[in-house]
Amino acid sequence: MDFSPNPDQIALNSALDKLAENFKTPPTDFRRFALLDNSLDQALENGGFFEAANIPELGPVSAAMMVETLARLPYTAEVALSMLVRPQLEGDWPRPLALVENGRPGRFVAEAATLIILDGDQVGLLSAPAGATVKVESLFAYPMGKTKEQLAFTPLDNTQASRIRTWLRVALSAEVAGLLQSALDAATEHLRLRKQFGRPLGSFQAVQHRMAECAVLTRGVRLLALQAAWSGDAGDAAVAALHAQESASRAVYDLHQFMGAMGMTLEFPLHLWTYRLKALLSELNGRSAQAHAVSEYCFLDNSEKSDD
Amino acid sequence: MEFQWNKEQQAFRATVREFLDRHLPDNWERIAHGPGSTAQSHFSRQFCANLAAAGLLVPHWPQRWGGQDADAWSAFILAEEMWAAGEPRGGQYMNVNWIGPTLMRFGSEAQQRRYIPPMAQGETLWCQGFSEPEAGSDLASLRTKAERNQDQYCINGQKIWTSYAAEAETCFLLARTGSGKKGISIFLVPMDTPGITVVEIPSLIGEGDIHEVFFENVMVPASAMLGEEGQAWDIVRTALSLERVGIPRFALASRMLRRAIAMLKQRNDFHHGAVTQAARAHAACEAARLFSYEIIDQRQKGNTVGAEASVARVATVNAERMVAEYVVEHLPEALAGGDPLLLAHHQRGIVAGIASGAAEIQLNLIATQLLQLPREPR
Repeated sequence: MDFSPNPDQIALNSALDKLAENFKTPPTDFRRFALLDNSLDQALENGGFFEAANIPELGPVSAAMMVETLARLPYTAEVALSMLVRPQLEGDWPRPLALVENGRPGRFVAEAATLIILDGDQVGLLSAPAGATVKVESLFAYPMGKTKEQLAFTPLDNTQASRIRTWLRVALSAEVAGLLQSALDAATEHLRLRKQFGRPLGSFQAVQHRMAECAVLTRGVRLLALQAAWSGDAGDAAVAALHAQESASRAVYDLHQFMGAMGMTLEFPLHLWTYRLKALLSELNGRSAQAHAVSEYCFLDNSEKSDD
Repeated sequence: MEFQWNKEQQAFRATVREFLDRHLPDNWERIAHGPGSTAQSHFSRQFCANLAAAGLLVPHWPQRWGGQDADAWSAFILAEEMWAAGEPRGGQYMNVNWIGPTLMRFGSEAQQRRYIPPMAQGETLWCQGFSEPEAGSDLASLRTKAERNQDQYCINGQKIWTSYAAEAETCFLLARTGSGKKGISIFLVPMDTPGITVVEIPSLIGEGDIHEVFFENVMVPASAMLGEEGQAWDIVRTALSLERVGIPRFALASRMLRRAIAMLKQRNDFHHGAVTQAARAHAACEAARLFSYEIIDQRQKGNTVGAEASVARVATVNAERMVAEYVVEHLPEALAGGDPLLLAHHQRGIVAGIASGAAEIQLNLIATQLLQLPREPR
């Protein structure tokens, strides 16, 4: 057990932090749902950040740390699937990637070069056919899109399908961890500054306890996501994704609540994180599906001992 | 970053598990039902002596005091396995975790020679005289008084919620020698000193577990004081930092969740709702486990641990509660003559958010120290 990044991972994290510096502040006149800047994607490509998972000294855990860091930014780009799922695919699939789940609208579907299709129990991979997708207006603070009609695909075999599902769960958890952290930070900052009844709102214990619970959830999601990225274990990934979706659904309400009316505006960027979290809540069939995956992978035998 | 045990750690865990398999009797789970009961206290004395003989009671203590200078991970692996087994060390886990190390740091030579060897040999039980009727979370408001009379102190007052008091030989007692936080001192008081009365409080948490302890003109020599007069607050803070992560409750919670699932599967009752709730509880146990490891990792690296320890405590309390509630909902017979260890787990879980610093105090610390929200005016 060692919870500190190794020197290579530290170097990568600090290079990424430097890159992210340029994307930390939304434009002052920003009043929309999704905040994009292609130069973020370009800078990540140019820096070779999407290749980290394949470098032995870095590995997928490093990619998960990067996904978490980038999810904290107000700007978004298709990062999680490219960094964590793409390295696990057989063959070279171009990015960006998007998930098309049972025909529903999904993140980055209209921009994607590669589509991962989840249809019931089947998983497929497709190069996005030209003109097959369309943008969709939404509250979700991601660029959303959908396929115009159901796309035909050859289902992958069980081993590949199961590996993709596992890494989709890892990617989701790492992204949720970063989104939760930024949403928490934004609400915390507001509670430190906003005064009512002559004192900062954040000094009321009723508020403090709920914020502290959100902090516990957020940190737990991060650790479980990193563990799953490190092990690549299907059970760890299911646990991380379940805890991520559970925590997101519990924290988003409180964080909006504490931001009051300010959090309802598009002027204040809280929605950039909370509405991304809401988009992630339904992915991979939502919490109940993650719970059944936990049961499938973690409750197989009747042993009372954990795997330590 | 690495989320796996190395070979030595795996071997150490296997050694502890083998020891437990060999030394826990068939009826152990019934004995474990009351951690402070006469039956468990007697069992624990023998068990701890055997543990000591096998080098597994205080491996993380310095060699000088009977240990092997083992690292923080060994101590925690040991704690996990013991707690998961139903804590056969009984109240002696306190000696191992913090009373012994506190005496090594602050005790006089005479105190160390008198008290540490019996702890290292697993022969003695202590109780912790902290809480009082008017001093729970607000420990600094305690009233038990120790008045100096030449080379003796005369102690008068009352402690409450004291675990293991009926069986303990010695009390790690906080008493007032002046006013305010700086007016509290620590006394190491033999429980057979005249003037001490112990009364058991029947409770939900098991036979013989909590007590009232009355001190009426209890005379102790000045040499019974640990450290200096008024030093209690500093010593207790250090002592509790040794115990910050607290008991690895997630280890038994996780085991009991697995047992509950196996029982439900066996009777074909592991249906949709039961699956979902079990998975949530499992995820909560896993989060608590990683939080605790994060703290041990910091401790092992010699770093100071702040409110992160409170995060681990809160997550552990939540996880234990989820498992306990799961059992109540799906296997209610556990509280009515069913599986004794499921019952014991439920009973121990009742105190999880209350003992050694209420969960709400941990939330205060997370809010003010980790999130740096302003303190509530007092």
